[in-house]
Amino acid sequence: MLEGLFYLLVFPGLGFQITCGLAFEWVDRKLLARFQRRVGPRWYQPLADLIKLFSKEDLLPTGASDSIATILPLVSLAAVLTAGLYIPMAGFTPFSFEGDLIVILFLMSVPTLAYYLAGMASVGIYSILGGARSLLQYFSYEVPLLLALSGPAILSGSWSVADIMASQAELGPFILYQPVGFGLAVAGLIGKLKRDPLDIPKATSEVVAGSLTEFTGTKLAFWHLVMDVQAVVGIFLLINLYFGVPAVYSPWLAVLIFVGEALLMTFVLSATSAVFARLRIDQLAGLGWRILVPLGLAQLLFVIFMGV
Amino acid sequence: MAKSKGLIFEMFEALFSKPETVTYPYTPVELPEGFRGALVINADACTGCGLCVRDCPANSLALIRESREVYQLRHYPARCAYCGQCQATCPRGAISHSNEMVESTTESEALVVVLKNEGAAEG
Amino acid sequence: MTKTTIPIGPQHPLLKEPISLNIDISGEDVLGGSLRIGYVHRGIERLAQERTYVQNVHLIERICGICSHVHTTTYCYAVESLLGVEIPVRAQYIRALMCELERIHSHLLWFGILAKHVGLEMVFMHSWHNREIVLDIMEALSGGRVIHAANQIGGVRFDLDAEREAMVRNMLHKLEEQVGGVLDGIVHETSIRARTRGVAPITAEQIRQYCVVGPVARASGVDVDMRRDDPLPPYDRLDFNVITHQDGDAWARTMVRVEETRESLKLCEMILDQMPGGPVTTRVSRKVPAGETVVRSEAPRGEVFYYLRSVGSDHPARLKIRTPTLAALSLIPVQLSEIQVADIPVVLAGIDLCIACADR
Repeated sequence: MLEGLFYLLVFPGLGFQITCGLAFEWVDRKLLARFQRRVGPRWYQPLADLIKLFSKEDLLPTGASDSIATILPLVSLAAVLTAGLYIPMAGFTPFSFEGDLIVILFLMSVPTLAYYLAGMASVGIYSILGGARSLLQYFSYEVPLLLALSGPAILSGSWSVADIMASQAELGPFILYQPVGFGLAVAGLIGKLKRDPLDIPKATSEVVAGSLTEFTGTKLAFWHLVMDVQAVVGIFLLINLYFGVPAVYSPWLAVLIFVGEALLMTFVLSATSAVFARLRIDQLAGLGWRILVPLGLAQLLFVIFMGV
Repeated sequence: MAKSKGLIFEMFEALFSKPETVTYPYTPVELPEGFRGALVINADACTGCGLCVRDCPANSLALIRESREVYQLRHYPARCAYCGQCQATCPRGAISHSNEMVESTTESEALVVVLKNEGAAEG
Repeated sequence: MTKTTIPIGPQHPLLKEPISLNIDISGEDVLGGSLRIGYVHRGIERLAQERTYVQNVHLIERICGICSHVHTTTYCYAVESLLGVEIPVRAQYIRALMCELERIHSHLLWFGILAKHVGLEMVFMHSWHNREIVLDIMEALSGGRVIHAANQIGGVRFDLDAEREAMVRNMLHKLEEQVGGVLDGIVHETSIRARTRGVAPITAEQIRQYCVVGPVARASGVDVDMRRDDPLPPYDRLDFNVITHQDGDAWARTMVRVEETRESLKLCEMILDQMPGGPVTTRVSRKVPAGETVVRSEAPRGEVFYYLRSVGSDHPARLKIRTPTLAALSLIPVQLSEIQVADIPVVLAGIDLCIACADR
């Protein structure tokens, strides 16, 4: 019982994931700043932002539903934290079971729906626009993402993330067999995290801040946590599905390799954020359905025939 | 014009160079010589002609004159636009902008700076 | 889809200065919009009547931060034409040098804003980093980065000795190398092109109907540039190209400004080469004889028009200023049909609004 609580609250549950989320936010902001020739924040900046947000006043416009606006970030946070429980961290998996990849993908879609509902619940015009855009974006990136992520599962013959990762010890990292799938998965992750170039729902110059325009204080702090933990869970998922951690003699070496892969993925995400301009929603829909989905189908067929 | 190698090259070049942020106030900043800072006066050269007062666009200079020998020249730094017109107008080059920044203050006395007090003029 | 109205402004992350745009949208399509200005109106023309000609130079400089030098240059030429004085040739060249430097810094600022609104913050930071070089040149010459106080009636206030001229040339070379990277990045960068190509095209008839000037007009093929059509000295002795494009969409407006920046860099070199020696100021009288005059010049955003009337005293009787952004603003409701919500930043950035100039 105590062991279960430790897994849930400290590692690999609440405490570990929030710490990783804040660390990811720091690395991302520092890299973006350095690309722009700025200095960037110090290591404690994301934590300081969170503490500051908790101390701010909690307001919503007249007509907004306070109860729904409070529940949504908490439910999203619970969903992404639960999704993170099933992902092996450097090979350590207390909770995995067959089919947990599908559960993880379901849970990771909860924040998108919650983002839309949050936009509707806080009745500002920018929030409603941002919420509508987030659903439009969801329909464009989710199908390529699911197609891409089915590849490693078919190749390893199992729908459990821990088994997929373990099977890369014999077959080698799956990115070698499906680089196209990896690219699609990164694109899908960028869309899910609403980062540049797919931050259409929260494009500052168009809709101020999207669904979260009217949120302040504790609710906004929880939304920040949702974004950070979602990013970290997404990165860990992609590392386990495409890179894997080789079975080495020392667990500390495995941890080091895992951290290295996570930093590489963070670098890839930050670099694509810096280099591309934001897409328009119709350009994203065109890109998603005309290019990404056929590529995903082709990659899937290739994997199926290769496995046979 | 020099050919560029693309945005990706620029990005990586920026990553590996020193950031361009000037870490003021931890590093000293050198002001150029033409910088229009606080007004200073060469009291011996000033004759109290009042041409600077007439030409100031912000009404930040005032000449209180009691007689030909007794006068006071006042400056209000809060109203001043730091345009340098007084410096350009003065026929003897008595009044000029220095390189010192004007500090903000919480004392209302600092809003009036007496530049020259000739004779026994009262404020 | 139901029709809603989103308010852009008076406070919005998109706007540097306050205007009020109420845009009607239906889903992601924009149906139209209405515009309201006047938030930065300070009554400059009325204030100018209460001050002397000498004091007005500094009032005029503070109409706008980006095009401050062009405003004072035009005003000083207007007063000098009423006075009947011809300023020394060296002063004319120095005024033109500062005008071209201002054009470069304004266009570099504009790239940054366009890139930021499209989501490419890295180009924003790099472009403004290059703009710092231009501001450093202007500060070393005149003492101020944005408000230069370079002009006075009768000439300019500072001179360039050999050492300063060498420094200016060095910094211009450095700028040319660095700016090439950012400009080529914009030209060859597919994501900016994808966002601006085909967006809100304006025809040449619409340009003439709404009396639009500047890069917006030149991007639609209307060949108008005050530096060539009604040149203030020394532009009649300088040799440069007027850039026009035919498409009239946001991409054409971007390209016109990119190439104008390159032309201005060449012009700066030419001005430094051609500058003669001599004094930089002449004595003028304070009382301006009665008369009226019209002077036009080319600001970074288009034609600036000054009308000045004097009744023989040392206060102007009437000063009328028409700035280019005022006409461009009337184009915004026209451009707002047939675009999407995501194109609104591109449309607003393409016009390069300077509301402080427009409202005066």
